Amino acid sequence: MSGYNIFVLVKQVPDQGSKAGINPDGTIDRAKAKRMLNPFDRYALQAALHTKKSYGGTVTAISMGPPPAVEILMEALEHGVDRGFLLSDRRLAASDTLATAYALYKTVLYAGKFDIIFCGLQTTDGDTAQVGPQLAERLNLPQITYCEDFAIENGRVQARRIIEGGIQRVSTGMPVLVTVANSYHPLEYKSFRGAWRVQQLARRQEELKQYIQTIDLDLIGADVERCGLKGSPTIVAATEKVGEIGGSCTMHEGHSPDEMVKEIIKSTGIREYLVAK
Amino acid sequence: MSEENTPQQTPETVPDVSQFCPKGDVLVVAEHILGELQPVTLELLGAGRILADKMERKLICIVMGHEIGDIPQKMIEYGADKVYVADHEALKNYRTLPYRRVLVDFLESLPEPPHTTLLGSTTTGRDLAPRIAAHFDTGLTADCTELDIGPYEHKSKVDPTKIGLYPNCLYAIRPSFGESLKARILGPWKNPQMATTRPGVMIPNKPDSNKKGEIVKVPVNLKEDDTRLVVEETIREMSKGIKLTEADVIVAGGYGLGTVEGFELVKKLAACFENSAIGASRKVVDLGWIPYQHQIGQTGKTVRPKLYIACGISGAIQHRVGMSKSNIIIAINKDPDAAIFKFAHHGIVGDCYQIIPEMIKQLQENKVKREVEAVVGTH
Repeated sequence: MSGYNIFVLVKQVPDQGSKAGINPDGTIDRAKAKRMLNPFDRYALQAALHTKKSYGGTVTAISMGPPPAVEILMEALEHGVDRGFLLSDRRLAASDTLATAYALYKTVLYAGKFDIIFCGLQTTDGDTAQVGPQLAERLNLPQITYCEDFAIENGRVQARRIIEGGIQRVSTGMPVLVTVANSYHPLEYKSFRGAWRVQQLARRQEELKQYIQTIDLDLIGADVERCGLKGSPTIVAATEKVGEIGGSCTMHEGHSPDEMVKEIIKSTGIREYLVAK
Repeated sequence: MSEENTPQQTPETVPDVSQFCPKGDVLVVAEHILGELQPVTLELLGAGRILADKMERKLICIVMGHEIGDIPQKMIEYGADKVYVADHEALKNYRTLPYRRVLVDFLESLPEPPHTTLLGSTTTGRDLAPRIAAHFDTGLTADCTELDIGPYEHKSKVDPTKIGLYPNCLYAIRPSFGESLKARILGPWKNPQMATTRPGVMIPNKPDSNKKGEIVKVPVNLKEDDTRLVVEETIREMSKGIKLTEADVIVAGGYGLGTVEGFELVKKLAACFENSAIGASRKVVDLGWIPYQHQIGQTGKTVRPKLYIACGISGAIQHRVGMSKSNIIIAINKDPDAAIFKFAHHGIVGDCYQIIPEMIKQLQENKVKREVEAVVGTH
């Protein structure tokens, strides 16, 4: 046995670019919304697959969500992931980040031995960037957040991460949890072979189960009191729609760029900010 | 939402919530880069002071680092009552595990856990805060834009153990769903209540050099486990330039520029302005035209400059959420139907390669004119 046990966490999120499933009050009807793989997770997936390609090993994708989330595990499989776990359980509803990280922690333990866990930097529906570090805390791992370059040398992880106003080069042993910034390489196109293979698999549900396993809280031995709304120390008590902006744009028309620019300089007061001297 | 509309519980089911009403103070975790206090910390001191005064509690701070100079004194001037200092060579550069250890030890050493703990939503705050929250099994609200404290009556039937009247509940407000909603996140049944706040949003106090405060040293006891990760090198490449979140003027470029050369124009235009910075949309960052640090939007930075000039940016929701709070937004785009014209304040439909050079030319002429006026004015 050689190579690394690489885990990658992925989430299905509503596509905010699509109008489908957006309620009049601006909230998302998750059942109707167009669904997609969290854009940030594409970088994590690329990091996981790249690590496998460079150093050998297997990639396990882990997700938590309602049954349709199996779609993104299929997508991960098409890209070259070896197997997937979907934690799906009604008792997970209304989980905040702490409860989510706990459930994922139990899932990771169930999925077996790992050397590296890659996560996206954050999700586009929650935007918190908290689940990765909270999972690292549960697993007592060192973490590399905002990672934009990743390599393994002599059994040690070498990474470059973004910090305020700069970058940092860090190194650590394994196991480690890494959250991948979107300055990492974009996800490569899936191979025709990979897509074809998964298409074939999708027709044979029994065989597919060997690759993608749907699991629940009982199977992974999670404490139900620590999951879902019950296990969440925070709740969303109210939401308020932010006023629509728009409709007030003054268009500066003119016959030439010269006229239009003159107009805009006159009416916006941008001269205030010119370099002095 | 439904939480608030559920009918009131019968009194016998109401548990005693006094255990959730700690006497603790408001804690701000300071952030500095090698002795230079970050603006977000001053903002947190402003917001934290209001919360502490409302509850008649103290505003306390912790500063971790090595050879941190006059930071504690400065924090007192900006509103802190008491500053705890953890000074150790191993804390010189921020690293998750050592900072986590010191903060956990410190919180456990306090006679009363803080009522509320605040950090900035920076790369550091977002790295450290979740670990602390997970350690104490407490709630953490990310990236808040408003904070308040007040009574809250929880009536939810779903979890009867939490029903009750909480006299001092942290109201943490954050944008959600692509910033189309403001969500009020509450969690008074776990302490400390924690939040990170978005840089550039809270308002710092005016410094008062006469303000008195206490400075206390705290012990640093790192374990072997805490040094598993080694910082090999730190490069502050942008420290010379102006940071996006602090710039008065941002000139941003998008895919509509057509080629990477378009950014040369963007840079020239930005150079016309004092305290300016260059921004970009996600697409051009993905194309490698400009580094990620310049990306504005949902997956990049959130900015609110006085002036935002969007060049060849279509104005997708993902970009809009990062810049829509700018005071004045000027959009230049060839496409009259571009979404950006729906929320910009001023727009020009035209080719960036004609408009931007013209703008640079006229601004430079304007500058000369203004200088002449200034000189004439003094006579």
